[in-house]
Amino acid sequence: MELLCLEMDTIIRARPDPNLLCDDRILQNLLTIEERFLPQYSYFKGVQKDIQPFMRRMVATWMLEVCEEQKCEEEVFPLAMNYLDRFLAVVPTKKCNLQLLGAVCMFLASKLKETRPLTAEKLCIYTDNSIRPQELLEWELVVLGKLKWNLAAVTPNDFIEHIVRRLPLPEDKLALIRKHVQTFIALCATDFRFAMYPPSMIATGSVGAAICGLQLDSADQSQWGDSLTDLLAKITNTEVDVLKECQEQIERVLVSSLREGRQQQQQQQTQRGPSGKGLDELDQSTTPTDVRDVNL
Amino acid sequence: MCITMDLHKQTLSALGNSPAQRSLFGPVDREQLQVEYQAALRRDLDQACQRWGFDFASNKPLEQSMFQWEGIPGNEVPLLYRSCLPGLGHTEGQRASEADLKPRGRGRVGQPHSEEENIHCSPERCDLHPEKTPERREDTGLKRKQTNITDFYQSKRRFIWTPRKSGE
Repeated sequence: MELLCLEMDTIIRARPDPNLLCDDRILQNLLTIEERFLPQYSYFKGVQKDIQPFMRRMVATWMLEVCEEQKCEEEVFPLAMNYLDRFLAVVPTKKCNLQLLGAVCMFLASKLKETRPLTAEKLCIYTDNSIRPQELLEWELVVLGKLKWNLAAVTPNDFIEHIVRRLPLPEDKLALIRKHVQTFIALCATDFRFAMYPPSMIATGSVGAAICGLQLDSADQSQWGDSLTDLLAKITNTEVDVLKECQEQIERVLVSSLREGRQQQQQQQTQRGPSGKGLDELDQSTTPTDVRDVNL
Repeated sequence: MCITMDLHKQTLSALGNSPAQRSLFGPVDREQLQVEYQAALRRDLDQACQRWGFDFASNKPLEQSMFQWEGIPGNEVPLLYRSCLPGLGHTEGQRASEADLKPRGRGRVGQPHSEEENIHCSPERCDLHPEKTPERREDTGLKRKQTNITDFYQSKRRFIWTPRKSGE
């Protein structure tokens, strides 16, 4: 019995595998296959009649909240968004079914990536029971068919370790950098403008933005040799200009997202009275330590 | 097991006051949703029929087929390739038992079974308890049909100079 109880709280994770991380072929293969999993069209211009870009953001924000609250693995949310975009690129969908689709995508991504996946019941509760588990399971099949069962898509998260370990970064800052990079990646996944970007570019731009945000690049210029961007661009074979643009875009999205978050919090505070949560923290730093801070 | 169930209930009820619990775009039209679901399945099935040159509704090869289909008795087929694992009720071995095909079978049998005879394992066929997703560590022995992964893969374009990734 005791053993069972102990097991309940242990999250089983694979250790970082040097065979996968220290071999150039892995990174090269990821770069080769990543384009296969991109949505084929900018679907708001053709396929979708009922859905607007802001609705994608609504459902994405909701999905991120659910993943956060359920403490899903980091890649679950970006992967679910990849499924969502690929489905919407081929199937005209009504807005009233968009949340169902979002739930299905989380369901699938969680099953693929987690040792303890989200259950259908839980996801339905998060939709405020507007959908039923039965419907979730039925549409799971439809979505799988449309994705041609190609679920193991490459996500920006797949590149983080490959990029980070090729940079001269202080050991003690690595955990913080990873956390920030993951935050930026999640932020990009909520924004449709990044949906057609290759995952490697989003990852590279996010690493750049994280390092700049933490001001690690200015601390010791000499150690970088080339500028940070040049080095990053080399690692993932991205063009320097494109990468710069991507990183700036990420930083702009962060700023506007923080501003929105602050407004929303102020609204909530005027509605509910002060809760004293983290406003000052947000003002002090442009890089949040938590995805939650960005999207509240 | 009891502990697991209790904890499960607790976590579910604890969701009750989360701000993330919300309906985004209003109520879902259930009937319409069901209609669209059936239509989507039918479309998938039609596509599969065309692709494989096989009418999965009546279990007969199509007249014009790129493939040459050959029937074999159901009981000679490994479990893996049957519609459902044994002991799962009415759908068991349906496909397998009908597997002895007549090579030049004529005339499709209507469409009444088209939804049921989906090549994919649809939940209503195989999952006896669709309301419950199997809990982890709960070994109920109820598994969805194990389909062959190649059933669903489109043959991929592969560039000659691209090394094939193992497992791809």
